[in-house]
Amino acid sequence: MLPVWKWVLARRFSLAECQWHTLGNMNLRSPSSLGIIAALVAALVGCEQAPPPQFHLNEMRMVENETPADYQQEIADVLGAMFGTPDQPFAFPESGLTQTRLTLAAGAAYNDTEGVSHGLYRRHCVHCHGITGDGRGPTARFLNPYPRDYRSGVFKFKTTFAAAKPTDEDLKRIMHNGAPGTAMPSFSLLPNSEVESLVEYVKYLAMRGEMEQRLNQYVYDELADADRVDEKGNPVLDENGAPLKGIRLNPAANAGQQEAVKGMMAEVVAPWNEAKDQVIAPTEEQIPKDNRPAEEIAASAKKGRDLFFSPQKGNCFSCHGPTALGDGQQNDFDVWTKEQKAFLDKTEQLKQSVAERDEQKDLSDDDKTALERDRRLVSEREDVIKTFYPLRNAIPRNLRKGIYRGGRRRIDIFARIHQGIPGMPMPGVGGSGPGVQGTLTEAEIWNIVDYVLSLPYEAISGPQTALPENVAEVTK
Amino acid sequence: MGQAKQEMKLFVLSRQTIAVVAVAALAAAVGCNRYSEGPGKVVNLTAATKIRSSLVGQTAEAGGEQAASTGTGWATLKGRFVFDGDAPAMPPYGVNKDEAVCAPGGKAPPQEYLVVDPSSKGIANIFIYPRKVSRVNDAAGPKTDPFLFDQKECRFLTHAFAVSVGQPVEIHNSDPVGHNTSIAGQNTFNQMIPSGDKVPYSAKKEEATPASISCSVHPWMRAYMVPRKDSYVAVTKPDGSFEIANLPAGEVLEFQVWHESASGSNHGLAVQSDETKELKWDNKGRFKIKLDPDQTRELNIAVPASAFGG
Ligand code: HEC
Ligand code: HEC
Repeated sequence: MLPVWKWVLARRFSLAECQWHTLGNMNLRSPSSLGIIAALVAALVGCEQAPPPQFHLNEMRMVENETPADYQQEIADVLGAMFGTPDQPFAFPESGLTQTRLTLAAGAAYNDTEGVSHGLYRRHCVHCHGITGDGRGPTARFLNPYPRDYRSGVFKFKTTFAAAKPTDEDLKRIMHNGAPGTAMPSFSLLPNSEVESLVEYVKYLAMRGEMEQRLNQYVYDELADADRVDEKGNPVLDENGAPLKGIRLNPAANAGQQEAVKGMMAEVVAPWNEAKDQVIAPTEEQIPKDNRPAEEIAASAKKGRDLFFSPQKGNCFSCHGPTALGDGQQNDFDVWTKEQKAFLDKTEQLKQSVAERDEQKDLSDDDKTALERDRRLVSEREDVIKTFYPLRNAIPRNLRKGIYRGGRRRIDIFARIHQGIPGMPMPGVGGSGPGVQGTLTEAEIWNIVDYVLSLPYEAISGPQTALPENVAEVTK
Repeated sequence: MGQAKQEMKLFVLSRQTIAVVAVAALAAAVGCNRYSEGPGKVVNLTAATKIRSSLVGQTAEAGGEQAASTGTGWATLKGRFVFDGDAPAMPPYGVNKDEAVCAPGGKAPPQEYLVVDPSSKGIANIFIYPRKVSRVNDAAGPKTDPFLFDQKECRFLTHAFAVSVGQPVEIHNSDPVGHNTSIAGQNTFNQMIPSGDKVPYSAKKEEATPASISCSVHPWMRAYMVPRKDSYVAVTKPDGSFEIANLPAGEVLEFQVWHESASGSNHGLAVQSDETKELKWDNKGRFKIKLDPDQTRELNIAVPASAFGG
């Protein structure tokens, strides 16, 4: 049976084509048929009224900044102006994004009469990465690792310096190869033009997410608590003569805000345009040849092994473990989880403080107002926390499996070791920018690459020093 | 007998019902809940269309928004933050790794999340800086001398510090074990600092609030750094004192006061008192002040325990 979700995602047009064909040879009593009927019912009846999917704001960040609801609406409107909607994306002129590609990738999935596929993102990606690119599609909760949340613009598997964005080639490569060992599939069967449209759409969602956070911060810093002024710059007073607070976010009516918003967009876009100048270029002569004799590789791998286990050099074992099973430092988090954890911790603190103040008698009126405000805040924060998936530690890779998410070519492993893995605890050992001195030399990094690639074939020798349960955890 | 038959019939009926209900439920679950729609706000198209044409079309000349620099002369802001209450005792860091190095003699160093000097009650490690200035004194430009940031016994030797954008920072590791130094925020950096070695770093962008620095190998290690465009920034000394000289006089300056454990919004240090009320000190840890030329304004702030969380 075809997976029901595929139909449903594609239902608007393509469902009509296949439903008769499948109905013909369907056993109406089997449970799968029930599912199909359900999908049909849903397609024909239930969802005609369903509203089109929408981009939603990042509630965690809105609540963290205590951004008032009316400002949230204004942020959503500015984002709508600059990026459009999931059905009608807009390539903002300064974004450098191509409208035709976005249009092909966005919207509902269907094939037109010429056989051109539309709605590529919803067809291939949305059930994991979510409409907003928040990594929270319907499948996401059940995956480990969770799908990438594009909204902070951080990507792991790329050939650029750690602080830089990925190049288009980097994004194409991950789509072509998938991320082996994770749910991220390979899309190597898609034509190049479709891959390019999807890459454009990933960048679009990332820029939208980054712009959202900047707008949120702009409201926090400059608008929400500012004294309101009239056209002449005089303070606006309420009926009691007290100055009114809060300047509305409406770039359509405020030239200064127009400039500010465009400036933020330029800051978001610039690193994407600069990515191609931020590629780590290994020195040509140092790149090991493909046809090296076995002894040469073994000698290089031996050097790499010494570096891997040396605290004065590579120090890789401190995380990947004395046996490289990934059983070293296991209790750190990735940046996406860290943000949620900080949110959780702060909520716990606030809850405790509210409970303590509840116990106190004779609070002043000011204290009571503050207490009520904090109580409301706790409940808003708890609503956000309910939407979290279980937090997981960032576990160092078991390097004996020979599975590399970012690609298994030597140059891929070189890039991982040189710059580390952005967003993850894994640090780099090469220089942090073009021409900047690193911890290890390029030659040493190539030695480690040889060792890493030989690790799956190396016997585990010597006593097992790691805790047995850790080993079980990472090798299962 | 008859009763059993009735039950049978009921059973049959309910099977059909269950099937229908199941189909309906599936339809609801599969069909209408395709996208995990978060609770966040969504766009209002009319408003968005208006904003779009204003952003994409020819925009009016932006003017009058730039805060005109009206003042002349320079002034100093100094003062002290003192803890209103008993100095909290800092528990030792939770060292659970490389004990020989990180907890010499079985004794881990004390944590630093709220460092109060028991005798003077001064609060260390509070950041204070103006959020924007319209003029910068020649003596207050960005610093260019190298800043040494070291770690020993699995502890960053500077817990809270400010650097200038572009200022060279040398990250050292004086421990016999390897560390990695991971800097959060807009100037992300995460690099291995081998034992006894050093690695260069510099921040390229100004941060509005301090970024955390950590080591993934020893997760208890923590420090905070704020990169600023100029050197109008101070971090309170162990006695709680700070001084920022050569500030532009004659304009309203908004200061940010920040401490890692402050319970204000985004770790802003919020203090309520008569003096702070006058300065419009808010929950974000920001206050406003206008200095006269050659003035030295002194702020002595008593901070209650409730300004810190946890
Ligand atoms: C079955 C779930 C699934 C589907 C479908 C899926 N992805 Fe992913 N994707 C993932 C997961 C899981 C990761 C995270 C891998 C990791 O963190 O190691 C990921 C990561 C990514 C990344 C980040 C790579 C990096 O360098 O950080 C990109 C880009 C990406 N996916 C794009 C896509 C696109 C485009 C599509 C549709 C054409 C798609 N994905 C479909 C699960 C999925
Ligand atoms: C601070 C902890 C830490 C240190 C030190 C560290 N790693 Fe990692 N490493 C990780 C984590 C965590 C991952 C998993 C990243 C992920 O899940 O995306 C990883 C992943 C990897 C991968 C897999 C990349 C892929 O494409 O799947 C390789 C290879 C690797 N590390 C090699 C090294 C080498 C070589 C060193 C020493 C130079 C090293 N690591 C040091 C934490 C560390």
